[in-house]
Amino acid sequence: MRRIGLFLGGVVLACVVAATGFAGDTIKVGIVDTYTGPVTTYTNDVRDGFQMAVDKINAKGGVLGKKIEVLLRDDTFKSDVGLTLAKELILQENVDILMGTINSATALAISDLAKKEKVPFLVTFSKSGKITGEKGHRYVFGMNENTDMIGRATATVLAKKPYARYWIAGDDYEYGHAIAESIFGNLKKLNPKVTLLGETWWKMRESDFTPYITQILAAKPDFVIVATGGGSMVNFQKAAQSTGFNKRVPFYQHTGIELSTLMPQGQNAPEGVFGTANYLFYYPDTKENKSFAEEFQKRFHRHPKSGAVYGYMAAQFLEKAYAKAGKIDKEKFIDALEGMTADSPIGTLEVRACDHQIVLPMYFGVTRKSPRYEFLVAGDILSVSGKDYMPSCEEIMKERAK
Amino acid sequence: MLENLLSAGTLTQILVGLSRTTILFIVSSGLSLILGVLRIPNIAHGSLYMIGAFSAYTVIQFLGGGTLAFWAAMVAGPLVVAALGFLLERGFFSYLYDREHLMLLLLTFSFTLILGDLVKILWGSEYRSITAPPIFRGSAEVFGLPIPQYNLFLLLVGPVIAVFLWLVINRTRIGKIARAAAVDSEMVSAVGIDVGWVFAFTFVLGCFLAGLGGALVAPIVSISLGMDHSLIMEAFLIVIIGGLGNIWGALLGSLIFGLTQSLGILVWPQFGIVFPYLAVVVVLVFRPKGLLRSAW
Repeated sequence: MRRIGLFLGGVVLACVVAATGFAGDTIKVGIVDTYTGPVTTYTNDVRDGFQMAVDKINAKGGVLGKKIEVLLRDDTFKSDVGLTLAKELILQENVDILMGTINSATALAISDLAKKEKVPFLVTFSKSGKITGEKGHRYVFGMNENTDMIGRATATVLAKKPYARYWIAGDDYEYGHAIAESIFGNLKKLNPKVTLLGETWWKMRESDFTPYITQILAAKPDFVIVATGGGSMVNFQKAAQSTGFNKRVPFYQHTGIELSTLMPQGQNAPEGVFGTANYLFYYPDTKENKSFAEEFQKRFHRHPKSGAVYGYMAAQFLEKAYAKAGKIDKEKFIDALEGMTADSPIGTLEVRACDHQIVLPMYFGVTRKSPRYEFLVAGDILSVSGKDYMPSCEEIMKERAK
Repeated sequence: MLENLLSAGTLTQILVGLSRTTILFIVSSGLSLILGVLRIPNIAHGSLYMIGAFSAYTVIQFLGGGTLAFWAAMVAGPLVVAALGFLLERGFFSYLYDREHLMLLLLTFSFTLILGDLVKILWGSEYRSITAPPIFRGSAEVFGLPIPQYNLFLLLVGPVIAVFLWLVINRTRIGKIARAAAVDSEMVSAVGIDVGWVFAFTFVLGCFLAGLGGALVAPIVSISLGMDHSLIMEAFLIVIIGGLGNIWGALLGSLIFGLTQSLGILVWPQFGIVFPYLAVVVVLVFRPKGLLRSAW
């Protein structure tokens, strides 16, 4: 009996030693994101881009002599699950950094937790402007574009176009409304002559857009802002192609020119669709972008999409910030990351000190066929640089003060 | 708002609504059939619809596209689903017919999860897309407004399926037995008929219809995980307002759903999504048991 007690005691002791030992040996990054269901087409890219960079960093011996350890958690697109998993990562795994999520509601919930627990949280993919806008704080960082930025960047381009009578159509949930309001609100400021002819809202995950398109065509607007996301991107473009919508009325979709939307449709995607994206694996045609795209393709056998860059850059910033901080410390990490710049496949990116939002270029283009690829690509690409469309620090601070 | 109903767009909206009705009818008639004869509230019906779409995609990929590949996919996709339905019925449901509905409901729910993961393993999480064959590509014009030719094709398919179902149910021996079994399966077995095989046939036919709906909708939508969710809810609502287990009720329900949706969008585009559900509420207030006689 005593022997067994001794043995069990030994086991417990060994576990404790091992646990504390491990905690000191690696930098733990906990990622909470959705790894089931349709949005995995986006989240898998973030995960793989991050892992690719982490493997390179670890192969060099890690940061400050410590390897980066990635812990993945699947929130199944549910905010309550995501929050529980984030708690588990903080309290049981003692993670140094949290990352994720594609669901804005989950990101905002985890952001609140991160603030309370004082753990840095790098948001990768959620597009709500609130994350680093009115709900921003010291512990949260936005590593991708958000609805505010999309609206401003798009409005600067549309304001120069001759269209006057606009129609808004979109997914009836926060992302759709936020993006449409942001684009049209900013457009109205830049070009007071534009008017809103009408709006159409459909339920999230709508599959057949034909009746919506025929109705919009009957109303005869000059230009349509289509505020959809996820699977609706492809669905909408298919309906646009079969009704000839794109040939009758020009329309715009954020990520309408992106690979995730165009590749599934092959050669049958509609031509002439306006869209924006943060990343295109074939543009800009620079050495950095090419080598990144080739490296990703070689390892994962697919072209990288925006998410791959968000994940990859999150790892780059992580390495640089720890190197600058000189030790593994949460507060020092945040101080180091504020205002930091890093080279990326799409040029030098900056994490703004004032609101912790990454500054990155936005590509505005139009879909067209390509002799090189079996799917449509973006043409006539206009690169809107971050400084030309980001909300100013004063504006952000005003929002936060509200 | 209402003056929109008198515009040139009305006819287009009606035609587009009717083509949506076709898909809804094909899927919900299968659901209704299984519900009426086997008494299984099959939540996995949506998953079978999704598998029909993915199977059609694979057949078209395998045959390299083109018109012939499209027709092959429209036949093979539903057959794959029918075969899967056969396995599910013989392997699981046939042992559970005398259990409570709640048990069957739980089993079908577990199948939605399993089949969802199966799709993820076999096809992955990327969006897939197929295009209609060249003859159905592009659009025709009605009063200056476009209507996709594929939707016109669907308008032809709907009545064909309806007539086919009518013939199977009213003019074939197995259809008659199935109808009898729906009323009193014990009596049917008492006169020496093997009810098990009638049930298997009905289940497989229902699954075939789910697969057919999925294959037919594939050129319109993106084929993806999650395409089953919204559809299964609509299909259940249709079956409920039509009268549980009555496939003509499913037809009526689909017409109400498809037309209120497309005309609702025309009347009030900002809140177009509300109209089909409003119609469901109205029906349930005045006819709580559904429009037509329920088989339950």
